[in-house]
Amino acid sequence: MKAPAFDFTQAQSVPDAVALLADTARFTKPLAGGQSLGPMLNLRVAFPEHLIGVRQIEALRHAFIDPANGELVLGAAVRHAQIEDGLIPDVTRGLLAHVAANIAYRAVRNRGTVGGSLAHADPAADWVNTMPLLGARIVVAGPDGEREIDARTFMTGPFTTALDEPELLVAVRVPALSDAARWAYVKFCRKPGEFAEAVGGVLIDRPRAVGRLLIGATDGAPVVLEAPTELLAASSTDSQVAEHWTDDRLRAAINAAGIGHDPYVAQLHLTMARRAIVAALA
Amino acid sequence: MTTIRLTVNGQPIEAEVQPRTHLADFLREQQLLTGTNLGCEHGICGACTLEIDGAPARSCITYAIDCEGASIRTIEGFDGDAPMAALRAAFSTEHALQCGYCTPGMLVTARDIVTRLPGAPEARIRKELSGNLCRCTGYAGIVRAIRAVMAQSGTPSGPGLASVRPVAPTAP
Amino acid sequence: MDHDIARARPLSTTGVGASLPRKEDRRFLAGEGEFVGNIKLPGMLHVAFARSAVAHGRVLAIHKPAGFEGAVFTMADLEAGSPPVGPIRVLSSLPGFKPSSQWPLARDKVRQVGEPIAMCVAATRAEAEDIADAVVVDIEDLPAVVDMLQARDAPPALVHEEWGDNIFLETLVEGGLKGDEFEALKGSAAVKVHRRLRTARQSMAPMEGRGVVCTWNTRLDQLEMYTAAQMPHINRAGLSETLGIDQASIRVIAPDVGGGFGYKGILLPEEICLAWLTRHIGRPVKWIEDRREQLIANTNCREHHYDITVYADARGRLLAIDCDSVIDSGAYSSYPFSACLEAAQVGSILPGPYKMEAFRCRTWSVSTNKPPILPYRGVARAGVCFAIETLIDAAALAAGVEPHEARLASLIEPDEMPYDNITRKHFDSGDYPEAIRRAMEAIDLPAWRARQGTPEPDGRLIGVGHAVFCEQAAHGTSVYYGWGIPMVPGHEQCGARMTPDGRLELRIGAQSHGQSLETTLAQVANEILGIDPAHVRLVHGDTGVTPYSTGTWGSRSMVMSGGAVAEACTLMVERVRDIAAHLFQVPLDQVVLAQGRVSDRAGVQSLTLAELAHVWYRQPQRLPPGVNPAGLEVIGGYKARVDTGTFSYACHAVAVAVDPGTGAVELLDYVIVEDAGTLVNPMVVDGQIYGGTAQGIGTALFEEMRYDSQGQPLASTLADYMLPGATEVPAPRIIHMETRSPYTTFGQKGMGEGGAIAPGAAIANAVNDALRPLGAELTELPMSPRRVMAAIAAAGSAAGAVAGRGAA
Repeated sequence: MKAPAFDFTQAQSVPDAVALLADTARFTKPLAGGQSLGPMLNLRVAFPEHLIGVRQIEALRHAFIDPANGELVLGAAVRHAQIEDGLIPDVTRGLLAHVAANIAYRAVRNRGTVGGSLAHADPAADWVNTMPLLGARIVVAGPDGEREIDARTFMTGPFTTALDEPELLVAVRVPALSDAARWAYVKFCRKPGEFAEAVGGVLIDRPRAVGRLLIGATDGAPVVLEAPTELLAASSTDSQVAEHWTDDRLRAAINAAGIGHDPYVAQLHLTMARRAIVAALA
Repeated sequence: MTTIRLTVNGQPIEAEVQPRTHLADFLREQQLLTGTNLGCEHGICGACTLEIDGAPARSCITYAIDCEGASIRTIEGFDGDAPMAALRAAFSTEHALQCGYCTPGMLVTARDIVTRLPGAPEARIRKELSGNLCRCTGYAGIVRAIRAVMAQSGTPSGPGLASVRPVAPTAP
Repeated sequence: MDHDIARARPLSTTGVGASLPRKEDRRFLAGEGEFVGNIKLPGMLHVAFARSAVAHGRVLAIHKPAGFEGAVFTMADLEAGSPPVGPIRVLSSLPGFKPSSQWPLARDKVRQVGEPIAMCVAATRAEAEDIADAVVVDIEDLPAVVDMLQARDAPPALVHEEWGDNIFLETLVEGGLKGDEFEALKGSAAVKVHRRLRTARQSMAPMEGRGVVCTWNTRLDQLEMYTAAQMPHINRAGLSETLGIDQASIRVIAPDVGGGFGYKGILLPEEICLAWLTRHIGRPVKWIEDRREQLIANTNCREHHYDITVYADARGRLLAIDCDSVIDSGAYSSYPFSACLEAAQVGSILPGPYKMEAFRCRTWSVSTNKPPILPYRGVARAGVCFAIETLIDAAALAAGVEPHEARLASLIEPDEMPYDNITRKHFDSGDYPEAIRRAMEAIDLPAWRARQGTPEPDGRLIGVGHAVFCEQAAHGTSVYYGWGIPMVPGHEQCGARMTPDGRLELRIGAQSHGQSLETTLAQVANEILGIDPAHVRLVHGDTGVTPYSTGTWGSRSMVMSGGAVAEACTLMVERVRDIAAHLFQVPLDQVVLAQGRVSDRAGVQSLTLAELAHVWYRQPQRLPPGVNPAGLEVIGGYKARVDTGTFSYACHAVAVAVDPGTGAVELLDYVIVEDAGTLVNPMVVDGQIYGGTAQGIGTALFEEMRYDSQGQPLASTLADYMLPGATEVPAPRIIHMETRSPYTTFGQKGMGEGGAIAPGAAIANAVNDALRPLGAELTELPMSPRRVMAAIAAAGSAAGAVAGRGAA
């Protein structure tokens, strides 16, 4: 079980990486932590001809709060373990660290990166579900500079994203939650570290007019349900927001996502969504 | 073939590698360090776990060419390391190994647990072990050995949690 | 009856009964184990195989990639040699058995995904895989035979056309009342329960897969093969038969082996291929099975179907069992165990430790387009235990008694031992009812029943269950020759040699791959000779230097090799005393050996073993005439006084919580009451129980090798084929009973497999106990969340109503 032959170039900077990725003569892919791509290479289900190492690009290793808007700018090469260990500024009242601590195994978290996981876009992975829940924006760099993509539209299907070639995912901008924000992120895995069979996420942050429920680990992009604006008024309560997500609405969303035909899968997603609601209000 | 420079068990190494050669094969085939075993070559079983820059990592899904400048420590590189010495003794006392195939990776993970999470309760120890499969022991002796080493070092496995923190991401 | 007789022995710190730390540990802890993957020979090349992508088809043509014709070999090449390489063909003398011909490389047909078609050799494994990927095979697809019941009843195709059906073997085992009397019993039984049960096909998945390094030693004109194997002498015999070369021209060495569990008890097609290749190309060659090959191409285990009815009286006492059982044996009959062992064993062991008045079991070993099966830890017992123990629970429920009461009413009583059961299994000793009583006390059944009376705060459902089983081990000739397969265990030998410095070398033909024999057999030597276990070296797994043995399987090594080591050491005692008597110039009966010293009874003269060995080897001038010239090298042989095997047994009791919102099962408590007779090394025994139980938990809840309708395996990685980890396996509480076997050297019983047998049954009984309020019942293993949810849904329970109550 050995990888097929490929070339490797260590990129020195983001422009360098973008330029290397622009080579259309060969099938070229970025390699970050390699924790998803590595297995695919060894199993010979991916056959890139040229891998561009981006893990060591200095600009991708930053994590800081943007003084302009208080957002967390999370460099694409920040590793899960760094988030787990609280080594990045937290604007999410612990959500990012909670999610990070339950990705795969520690040895994988030590190497796997936020950007790599997002770009890989496995529906069962955690950041592709967490970032839409948070309303984050994905920053990508191309030949003509950077652009931002709403995380809720970043993933376009299983293992596919809104990244255009030769764009490189460089950072995630995570908005700061208010002090009143309540969240939950629950997932069902057969074993710790295994890919989730269902993810439920809830974020209620009325001061920022956010009431969001996420159904993740679907067959494609996660389902994001936004609570009606009127429920997010100052006079309402978090419970009222939560009550909006009735079983009927959740089932309809599950069916709309195309995963309702399998009763077990549908039930798991319903259970996770309900438990996320309960946990967020707890 | 590309030339890489890295440190293996404290020794600076310069070697020619094919880009597709993963770190475990590089160590086993080119450096003759066969203590790192391969169990699945897709990042699940943990048999090939070793330290890269002080932190446990899967050597089967890390490519040697992407380890330029890294410091690698394999099971052969823990001479004189007190936590590892204590773990080795405890693994034997607690019968934490049978066939021995998962043992090198298990020891590297166990060392990470006792140094990073002193005093961790048993449930946390088990969660931290979830990335290392053992088919022989049922994990009973492994968990006991880790708890025994924590107790010896004055941080008995209990409810408390502390964290020894590695390097933070850089600020711009 | 004294269950704890071994405890009356003086407590040894180094001999039989001591929890001696393992001699093996140092090298493994240092990363110095010598696994086959670590072995490099000068000039060695690497092999990868081009394998079938389809489950069933005719091979029309094999195209070697241009430029690599000399690096790719097919069956045609292997058959062109002299002598030609032949197929693996395992015969059984059981009436009606149909043998299969498994060519080392596919010749006319492929019968499973992953079947090797072409052997590719290159300087590195990666390059060999590149070549294998470039091999093009033209295959005419045939309908895949995937489900065993369909294969038997309405086959879409024939796996082996010459048979006319897909049945390797059909057996019928009957005992007790027959005919009209059986029918009358059925008609009058107060309780009748019927179930259709299924256990999944599994992969044994040791951490190390198979692997081969071999070379042709021109000096000895001998094939030298290092292979990850449990039964090296059997591999040698099989290689000889398929390669057409004599056994003395083959040396098989099993180095450090990373777990076996039955997976490595087989002659592999790949071994035959590499043996041919190294001679053909004149270079050492290496093939290491990767995890994908392990999961999809090589053998599986344990796919059982039961259509079973149990009859009991009004208080749940067992009256009769009537069962049809089908086993999916896969595409080929493996060497040496054959495709029939599993099913035929089902028929004979289904009654277990229970008494009954009538028994009937018909079995079918069915061929499908899936990998062959091998006997995995516990062999058919895990499935059989699941079948009989879930039916006993169902019968108890029908009778309105607690399940343990039904068992206590039906088990063999201790004062009936030794006991021949309804299928003439000879139980050597034991107190089964006491094991259940102790297990019920330890798990505290009343406390769980009380807890069930109140809803759990998290909405989960609580259940408690148990299972009892017996584990026949160390099968001897009398109970094995009837299979008529290439291997019959007979007499086990140990070669013992005292070195000139007084150390002891023991050579056995079995192989230790985690069982700790290097330690436990040294303890046996210590027990007899008084020699420090640190001064004992075990040589095993090498046909070149060890006595013939069928190897390590069936929990036989501690009884058979342990017995042989004891015999050899006893002979050595006599040799030592003889030499000492001559040296001391005293009559033989005046010489005693104790604690590693030989002395005269007067206490005047005394020598250490090292001093005596020094005289024997290096100062023979000191020895008077008449001393036995055979010296300090002996062969000891062993066969149990009664060779029908030892019967270890245990009761596993478990409490579970079932999440009705997800189907997840958590093990809350797990108790094992186990009796393996005299424990040679209690620490090692516990390790075997823990490890076996973890594997049994895999059987119960996780492990499943699924196939689609085309025979394509749906698990090719360890992310899909889920092995239990530290979070899935609890720390069981083990309680020992020690009823000696009357037939073995120290009263020890084989016990390596028991842990893996009961968890499926015990956990199923607990899960079903938990689901009873919902009217749901599980009848298939593993009890995956999907199956649990399906059972709940089938019971018409409104699972969604409780789903939201669970904690996040």
